[in-house]
Order: sequence, then structure tokens, then C-alpha cells
Amino acid sequence: MSRLFANGLMKLRRRDFLKAATIATAAMGLPASMVDKVAAALKSPARPPVIWLHFMECTGCTESLLRTSHPDVATLILDLISLEYHETLMAAAGKQAEENLRRAVEKYRGKFICVVEGGISTKDGGVYCKIGGRTALEILKHVSADASAVIAVGTCAAFGGIQAAAPNPTGAVGVRDIVKDKPIINIPGCPPNGYNILATIVYILTFNKFPELDELNRPKFAYGRRIHDHCERRPHFDEGRFVEQFGDEGHKKGYCLYKVGCKGPVTYANCPTQRFCDVGVWPVAAGHGCIGCTEPNFWDNMIPFYEHVPGVEVPAGQGIVGKAERIGKFAIGAAAAGIAIHAAAGVIKKATTKEKEE
Amino acid sequence: MRVYRRVKVWSVLLRLYHWAFALSIITLFLTGYYIHNPFALGPWEGTPTNFLMAEVRFVHFVAGYVFIAALLVRIYLLFFGNQYERFTDFIIFRPRNLVRLFHTVRAYLYLGEHESYGGHNPLAGTVYLCVLVLSVFMALSGLFMLYPEGGLWASWGVTLFGTQQIARLFHYLLFWVYLIFVMIHVYLVVWNDIFGSEGIISGIFSGRKFLRT
Repeated sequence: MSRLFANGLMKLRRRDFLKAATIATAAMGLPASMVDKVAAALKSPARPPVIWLHFMECTGCTESLLRTSHPDVATLILDLISLEYHETLMAAAGKQAEENLRRAVEKYRGKFICVVEGGISTKDGGVYCKIGGRTALEILKHVSADASAVIAVGTCAAFGGIQAAAPNPTGAVGVRDIVKDKPIINIPGCPPNGYNILATIVYILTFNKFPELDELNRPKFAYGRRIHDHCERRPHFDEGRFVEQFGDEGHKKGYCLYKVGCKGPVTYANCPTQRFCDVGVWPVAAGHGCIGCTEPNFWDNMIPFYEHVPGVEVPAGQGIVGKAERIGKFAIGAAAAGIAIHAAAGVIKKATTKEKEE
Repeated sequence: MRVYRRVKVWSVLLRLYHWAFALSIITLFLTGYYIHNPFALGPWEGTPTNFLMAEVRFVHFVAGYVFIAALLVRIYLLFFGNQYERFTDFIIFRPRNLVRLFHTVRAYLYLGEHESYGGHNPLAGTVYLCVLVLSVFMALSGLFMLYPEGGLWASWGVTLFGTQQIARLFHYLLFWVYLIFVMIHVYLVVWNDIFGSEGIISGIFSGRKFLRT
């Protein structure tokens, strides 16, 4: 908070401002000629009211957003919108905070954008996540009913996230499972890239419509391509040069992380091009495979993180999760044994009938 | 002495399907297993490049298209083929075929006489139908992974599998199903050739089987 005020909120240097506008334009896949239009939208005094709700989550999405710099994405987003309620950032607390939420919903009825961060508990009436005595389920239903649109920021809000992982004790789900009558944009990721959040909001302000979305309501400009298809290690994949284990010669030489479980080939996100932390870095560049954090149920489907096919639950096997390969080998063994027994039975039968004939 | 007549059972199209399917499956096995678990014989830096993974993937995709073409031919023949090729000949939802199924199982357990019906016995036919259905899923999961940004495949893929990772899991698990199927298929065909009188193996080359008069 103090850092935001120290920045003076509005006192972003023009150079940084244009830089951010250009990055946002590029993130949306728009040509350079659109930078002016985006900059105009960024400067527009008409700031859409936003109510930012936190549910079952680690606040990592907000935290990672606030920790960007050069240019400060968080400042830009916070300048761009009129943030009416945000539990991490607001000064108000307790009853006063709840009062702010109630007043904001009334004042901007039908006009505000509802941003959701975190999953929503549905089991046992949603008692596992309560704020000010109300369940997350109640709050989301109440607030989203009056929102113009809902933006689900982070994998928890989009698809349920870590608390929705098996066995999902709290019945956690994403916004899309609760809110059915409002347009939803999902910006998944753990955390999502701040520029994808910025670009989505800027797109809506610039063109007054949603960006093109994919099957899972993710903006196509950010989630339209698999990580694998833009990865800087892709040539090593095509060459058949792989890291066999972390720290080996191939790892030191920057080879492809496919064999140590990189989920880049099955994950849609713009990490290789957008990158993180303002220094052009992202997990694969740093030598760790993608864990597929922008995909639904990634905590269940992408594990084990260091193998590329997930564990398989054996039906009626009391929930034994095994390697797909082990199951395959077992089945092959059983089939081979079956064949052997069948052949042996034939041989034995022939031998016994011969005896009778003799 | 038993008298047999030579009967035309398999059309040219069915035989072409069978061998295109068989050869594409073998190719898909070998290339698919490399793609799943690439062995570390790829060139290291300093040696001439050969794009091993890219080439193997190319072969896999070409074989995949042959597989799909063959699959479509078989689905067509299930409805419009000759009397032995149509699904009605061996589907188990017919009293005649249920009786045949019983006889087949008995023969396979060395408990009864080996009989021949011209086309597939209902046990084999049922397994083939299952394999064809699985093949459709194999093709769809493959196409979803091959065209991750293709509007049609992407929307079908998400509807069917949810994510690419699940499509990949299906694709990989079905790989083992085919491996097991091929093992059992080859064993039983050889077994039938030895104990039966149809000449089942030469039949898939010549299209003709020997049936008892």
C-alpha cells in the first residue's frame, strides 16, 4: 500500500506509461498502430468500477500483480479502474469494509466488473469459506447478480484450483460453476501474468467488448497457443535432445525438459512470449518444466509433475494411483499369461487325447 | 473324407483396410513409443543435425492419417460391405450369433468342436467392433493434439477430453490396449489356422476361406 502511495498513483512517467501501453497492445496481438488507441483508453477518465472479491486462495495473484515494476502493471491497472472493494488493498476493515461492499454494489448496480480471486466452497452450504459471517457462495451470488461481467483471475477462481484437487474436501469450484447468467472471462494461471489481466481490461475499455475467448473462456490472445509451440527449447525437442534428469549434462546445456515432465505440450498460455518478473524470465527458461497451471484440474491431471503422463486411478482398485506404464505392463503380462495358459492347455489336451488314441 | 469349398469372403477393400490398418498400427506403435519416451540417442551438439523427434513425429502423423483412412473404410464396410463384412453378420444381439458365440467360447476352451462361419466369429467380431470404437477415440485424441489451435478440433477436443493432458492420457492408455489386442489377435489367428479348417491366415491375403460343404 505505502509503495503505491509513494508512487503517487498517477505519477507514472510518460515513457513508462507508453511502454506499458505498448506491452499491453502487443500482448493482445494488436499492431503498433493501435498503441495510441490503447494509450487513450488507459488515460480515459471514465474508470469502470471494479469489485475485487477474495475467496479460497493464497492472494498470490494479487501479490504477484503488486510486485511488478518498470512499468508498474499494478499501478496501471489500479489507475485504469475504480477499485471499490479489494480486501488486500483497502484501508477499511471489519463492518466498515462490508458496508463499502454493500454500498458499491448498490451504487454501481449493473455497471461494475466483478473480479474474483480464489475458489468457492460449495459443500455443506459453503461453510468452509466465510467473510463477515457470509459464505463465499452467498457473496459471489449476491455481487455477481448485479455485475456487468465477471473476470475470474487465477486458476482457483477459473477452475477451482488447489482446493478443488482430489479429494476436494470443501467442494471447491470455480466461478463458472456458480455464475451462469453473466459473461465470464477466465484468466487462469498460478499466478496469471499481470499483463494478461491488464490487456484484458484494456481490451474491454478500448473496444467496449470482450476479447475473443477459447472453449474455456480464456482470452485467445493470451491462451490461444500451447507453451510448447513458442518455447525457446523447442528446437532441442525436435532434435531429440532431452534432459534425462535435473542437473545432468543436457540440463546444463539447456535441452528440452519433455522427459522430466514439462507440460508445455499440453498447456495453453503465452508464458514463453509474455514472460514474467519484468526481466524476461519464465519457468522453462529457468530450467524447470511447465506444470500446466493454466489448465483445469491441473493439480490432479498434471501430477506427477516430473513425468509427462498423469497417474491413473485403477477402477475398483481402492483408489490406487499408479503409473500408466506400470498398468500397461501389468495388462500386457496378464494377456501374455493368458495366451501361454491357453497354448499350454492345448498342448496338454493334445497329449492326453493322443494317449487315449494309443 | 470331409469336403470343403473355397468361398470368397473378404472383398479387396476389406483386405486393403486390414493391411493398411495393421501396418499403420505397427508404425504408430514404434514411432508413438519413441515420442512417449524418446531414447537418448539423439545427436549432441557438434554432430550434424537430423531432427530425430521431428522426423519421427512426421512419420507418426502420416501413419495416423493412413490409420484414419483405413478406419473410415472399415466403418463404411460395416454397413455397405458384403454379407460377411457387415456388422449384422457377427453382432451378438442376434439369437443366431449368440449360439455361435457360445460355440466359439466352447471351442476356444478346448471343450467343443471347432466350427467356421465364413466371416468373423461373434467373439472376434465383438472385439473388432470395440477396437473400431476405441480407434475413433484414438483418432480424435490424436487430431486434438495435432491441431491444438484448430477451431473444430479444439472445440471437439475440449468437449470430449477437457484438456490436452487428458487427451494425451487416453491416447497413451489406448496404446497399451492396441498392443494387447495385437498380441491376442495374432495368437488366436495362428491358433485358428492350426486347429480350424478355414485357412484363416491365407484368407486375409486371398480373400477366400475353406468352408465345410
